Amino acid sequence: MAEKAIEADNVAKLFGGLAAVNGVSLAVAAGERRVLIGPNGAGKTTLFHCITGTLRPTSGRVALFGRDVTHDPEHRRTALGMGRTFQITNVFPELTLLENLALAIVGTDRRKWVMHRPVEAFGEVRRQALAGLEAVGLAGRADWLVKLVSYGERRQLELALALNTHPKVLFLDEPCAGLSPSERQRISKMIAALPRDITLVMIEHDMDVALGLADRVTVLHQGQVILEGTPDEVRANPEVREVYFGHG
Amino acid sequence: MDRPRAVLAAVALGAALALPFAGGPFWTGLVTQMYIFGLLALSVDLLLGQAGLFSLTHASFFAVSAYTVAILQVRYGVPTMLAAPAGILAGTLLALVFGLAVRTRGVYFILITIAFGYVVWGVAHRWSSFTGGDNGVTNVPFPALGGFAITSHTQYYYVVLAAVILCGLGYRLLIRSPFGLGLRGIKASETRMQSLGYRTSLHLYAAFALSGALASFAGVLYVYYNKFVNPVAASFPVSVEAALMAIVGGTGTIVGPFIGAGVVLGLRNWVSSFVEMHHAIMGVVFIATVLWAPQGLVGLAGRLRARFSGKDHG
Repeated sequence: MAEKAIEADNVAKLFGGLAAVNGVSLAVAAGERRVLIGPNGAGKTTLFHCITGTLRPTSGRVALFGRDVTHDPEHRRTALGMGRTFQITNVFPELTLLENLALAIVGTDRRKWVMHRPVEAFGEVRRQALAGLEAVGLAGRADWLVKLVSYGERRQLELALALNTHPKVLFLDEPCAGLSPSERQRISKMIAALPRDITLVMIEHDMDVALGLADRVTVLHQGQVILEGTPDEVRANPEVREVYFGHG
Repeated sequence: MDRPRAVLAAVALGAALALPFAGGPFWTGLVTQMYIFGLLALSVDLLLGQAGLFSLTHASFFAVSAYTVAILQVRYGVPTMLAAPAGILAGTLLALVFGLAVRTRGVYFILITIAFGYVVWGVAHRWSSFTGGDNGVTNVPFPALGGFAITSHTQYYYVVLAAVILCGLGYRLLIRSPFGLGLRGIKASETRMQSLGYRTSLHLYAAFALSGALASFAGVLYVYYNKFVNPVAASFPVSVEAALMAIVGGTGTIVGPFIGAGVVLGLRNWVSSFVEMHHAIMGVVFIATVLWAPQGLVGLAGRLRARFSGKDHG
């Protein structure tokens, strides 16, 4: 079996008495594209938070390429190769798109500590930032303030920020949330076109997008994994049809 | 820098250089104070305007530095060349301790900094054998660097002006650097910064230390101007006023804190000549700023300019 990029072992997260994630084990192979699906409240985003370090799991273990990262803070996991996007757009509205990208680019190296040279003096950062914007179709917006661009463009920026920390494993939390069908298609195409050496873990509500992109699918329901399999297996499974699509 | 701003900067510099000849001792003194307290307000604004942390303990660094210089110079006869750096060092070391407050956020951060401020004020006030109690330390001489000694307030005005310009330029470099951009990122979204690989608490801690160092430098300039230091310098109202200056002038800018310092000190001077309630007036100014010019006077000027030129900006 291929190397495991991500291993979650019996991860649980309790909020008071509520088990948002209730003993989830998950192994994603390097280079795999895994999609998490499940109805609202299934614990998908909480599981994401536990794996990327935004939240500490109440119990369980998380490993990245075999290295235990359960107790590593989020910034450390990013340095080790995790990248993520947020379901609710989480970018820097008062900065330009170029500055947003610059923050991502220097975030994983020592240049973020430089205090005596203006950002513009880093030609390499600028080149990378422009390339990063171009890759998500935002080349023409480099000097715009984020607060002045459209919601769809902010979702593209959201993706660009995550990509520019150069992750080995990329977590996408509903990258198409709130987008129109045409914008959805654009983002899905961008995701599909990502290099195969980036392991993808993605939460997606849109079954067509999800099943089109995924190598394997994990179905969560009430904080637990109810099924893991190929898109075809998931599509055919009666239990999934019931919890996910409802009766009938 | 675009051309209108370059012209504005040149005019301002010319006016600043000419002030002691045109304005006489009263204005020279008031503007010297404006520079010094503007620098203190600027140090507060490194945290407030750039990183989004509201500190109410900056009088501590200002005062500890001023006391250190005063005690070394007056009691031990230490020359300026050593006393002034020792003052900055003492204030900065204190900032390295108080900086641990960056483990908290929001109202907790504000409350902890207030408590820190009261500790320092209490020590200055009560440890009279060392600090001179209420009287403080008096008879601080003008600074003398090597063979070059300052002998008048007018000369000292130029020293402070040069120091403020150098600090302003250094500050400009700092906030435009990757580190400074990182602070603005943290202000906008700490969670995103963490997921981009930033150890945000360490970033904020570094900013706190730098901010404390700048406040300490303002303390050095203050004690040589004022000639004495007493517990008032360490008191809560000084911390509040420094923040008020930054907010009234315009947070997140470099000239804002200085303009705010000018407004606050000018008003106090003017108002206290006929009523005994300049604190109440300051309260009203603060409320008016928050209600009608939340971006401060600098922001207001920008908005008015945009309106008159027919452009509406974002």
